[in-house]
Amino acid sequence: MKIAPTRFDKGENRMTARALKPWLFLLPALTIYLIVIFVPSLYTFYLSFFKWNGVAADKVFVGLDNYADLILHDSVFARALKNNLLWTAGSLILMIGIGLMLALLLNKRIKGRIVFRGIFYFPYVLSGVIVATSWAWMYNPTQGFVNKLLETIGLESWTRAWLADPETALYAVFIAALWQGVGQPMVLFLAGLQTIPHDPYEAAVLDGAKPYQSFWYITFPLLRETLVIVVATTMIASMKVYDIIYAMTGGGPAESTQVLSSWMYYQTFKFANIGTGSAISFFLVLITMVVIIPYVYYTTKRSHL
Amino acid sequence: MKKTISALLSLLLAGVMAAGCGSGDNGSSEDGQNGGEKKVAISFWALNTGWEWLEPAVKDFENANPNIDVELTQYEVDPIKEALKVAASSKTLPDMWFTWGGTLGSFYPENGLTMDLTQIAKDHRWSEIYNKAAIDMSTYDGKVSGIPVHLNVLGMWYSKNVYDKLKLQAPKTFAEFESQLAALKNGGVVPLAFGSKGGWHTMRLTEQLIEHFAGPELHDKLNRLEASWNDPAVIKAFEKIQEYTDKGYFPKGYSSLDPTEAESLFYQEQAAMINEGTWFDGNIMENGFDPNNYDVFKFPNDQTPSRASVFAEMFQINGGSSPEKQEAAVKLGEYLTRPEVVNKYIEQYGSPATLNVNISEKTPHLKTLLDSAGDGAFLITDQALPQEVVQKLFEAQDKLAFHEWTPQQAAEAMDEAIAKYKSK
Repeated sequence: MKIAPTRFDKGENRMTARALKPWLFLLPALTIYLIVIFVPSLYTFYLSFFKWNGVAADKVFVGLDNYADLILHDSVFARALKNNLLWTAGSLILMIGIGLMLALLLNKRIKGRIVFRGIFYFPYVLSGVIVATSWAWMYNPTQGFVNKLLETIGLESWTRAWLADPETALYAVFIAALWQGVGQPMVLFLAGLQTIPHDPYEAAVLDGAKPYQSFWYITFPLLRETLVIVVATTMIASMKVYDIIYAMTGGGPAESTQVLSSWMYYQTFKFANIGTGSAISFFLVLITMVVIIPYVYYTTKRSHL
Repeated sequence: MKKTISALLSLLLAGVMAAGCGSGDNGSSEDGQNGGEKKVAISFWALNTGWEWLEPAVKDFENANPNIDVELTQYEVDPIKEALKVAASSKTLPDMWFTWGGTLGSFYPENGLTMDLTQIAKDHRWSEIYNKAAIDMSTYDGKVSGIPVHLNVLGMWYSKNVYDKLKLQAPKTFAEFESQLAALKNGGVVPLAFGSKGGWHTMRLTEQLIEHFAGPELHDKLNRLEASWNDPAVIKAFEKIQEYTDKGYFPKGYSSLDPTEAESLFYQEQAAMINEGTWFDGNIMENGFDPNNYDVFKFPNDQTPSRASVFAEMFQINGGSSPEKQEAAVKLGEYLTRPEVVNKYIEQYGSPATLNVNISEKTPHLKTLLDSAGDGAFLITDQALPQEVVQKLFEAQDKLAFHEWTPQQAAEAMDEAIAKYKSK
């Protein structure tokens, strides 16, 4: 005997359908994410426990040896990790700081601000190789713009072989990356600043607030969500930096500008040590996750939304 | 109704995205019909700089073989090494590719990725077509694994203008060479145009210093990893790298200088000498200069026999390609290395592995360099050593320049790298 659905049954079905709906819409992106990112990442993690040259039929299981070798015996890995941390610190402080300053400036009603926004954003659309090639020539010790400029303004003692000195090479490359990358946080902050209403500022001025007070007590808190995104994306980008370093210095001189991505590339594609390269990539994932996930979770929880 | 539409839309979206993610045609797998004869398309990767003759030669081949389409992709030196490794790992190697010999090219035959050309070499009488040394350097584990293209010999090129101004002549001994370095430096010219970005350019000087101090027998043992690199001869060679850096014999900042930047200093006569090979007349012309304004000498390593550094270049054929593509690729490779084609493009071709070819007047130094290998030759270091050990040598060169390592430490580091490689 067929029993007619009760009001309660219909409610339950509606709830199930409502719960399933978001997953249906997420399904295409989730499928692509699983196929293109998650599964290959798992496979890479699996390979990190083997010695393998990438093409041979047999892989030799070595357990955690690849990881142990990197930590205990590979001085270039240690250097690369240190460089990545320095790069991340520089990115978080300078790239975000300068991006924010430019956004604040270009949010004001100044003449030609749209042109200036384009000028500051333009380097970001260039490929890393183009930026690297241009800056490598600018840093040329005898014919480059940087040293010629220093000579012209009477600072000849400051001239040096910027990319050839292990003390300065990484920082020289970072400046090129800063020039290229500052446009992205600037644009994101500009978008965030557009959403802040004028009323709190007017009220603050009436109360006698100074500009820095307006920034600290109004602008900065209301930019929190934007800041979360900018910090997260900057941190991720800095951990996986590769092309500009490889193109400008190849990781040299004397492996002094190697970062985890470039050393992973060397191990995997120059030396055919797939297991070691995979282990490096997983270190990268681990470090990034350990920092990013708690940060995003914590700051999102504190968000006023 | 709404639920059904939502579900259908989601499925449609997933389907469209999946279709968009599908691999496209890479252009080399299409085979069609051409007037009854089956058309074969093959992919071919080669070098760019110094290989300007290749594109017209490939077009000539296609005109002569209308059933074969060649998709040519040309790379610079380091990018092609990396592209091939990436392609090998992802099983997307082209049907034919250019490679150097030694450990740069051995990866592919050692891993069963190349076609065994031994029988073809026999049937097509390659011993009558190609220089034996080139065939030997294209052979791995007894199997001919490449079609020989070039047999390159290296030497020290110098600017005649610079030498004439300072009243110098090509040195005959190592002591003379070193006194010229000082004279050039005092004369306001950078003696040695080397760019160490990538390491391989400076390595050409390092290996000659090792040949000078170690002699042929020990040098060969070092390259075969049969002798310790922590040897007084090696340490002396490393001391010289440090000494030449300290004395300013290299361009300022040479550790990160691209070899092409060093080459530009050479053309501008701001630097006097550069270590290049049998292809360099072509480079000089390509850069708009006259090869007759330059000359070349064999590095005076004071050894008997006095050996030159050599290496071969070859075309390897993909062992996994279809028989039709392999046949077409072999045909292309043999075409590009036959005497008629070599002679047609001889001015740009470089040093052919092909026997019985003409030498152009526009490459006046080719014969000099080829003859310089007559007494003997050693395989260039970055092909003789395993790549991880080569990388350690490059690191050592840089760290010696900055005094981050002493020559002793550099030699020890080489031994450590060799031990690690052997334990793999």
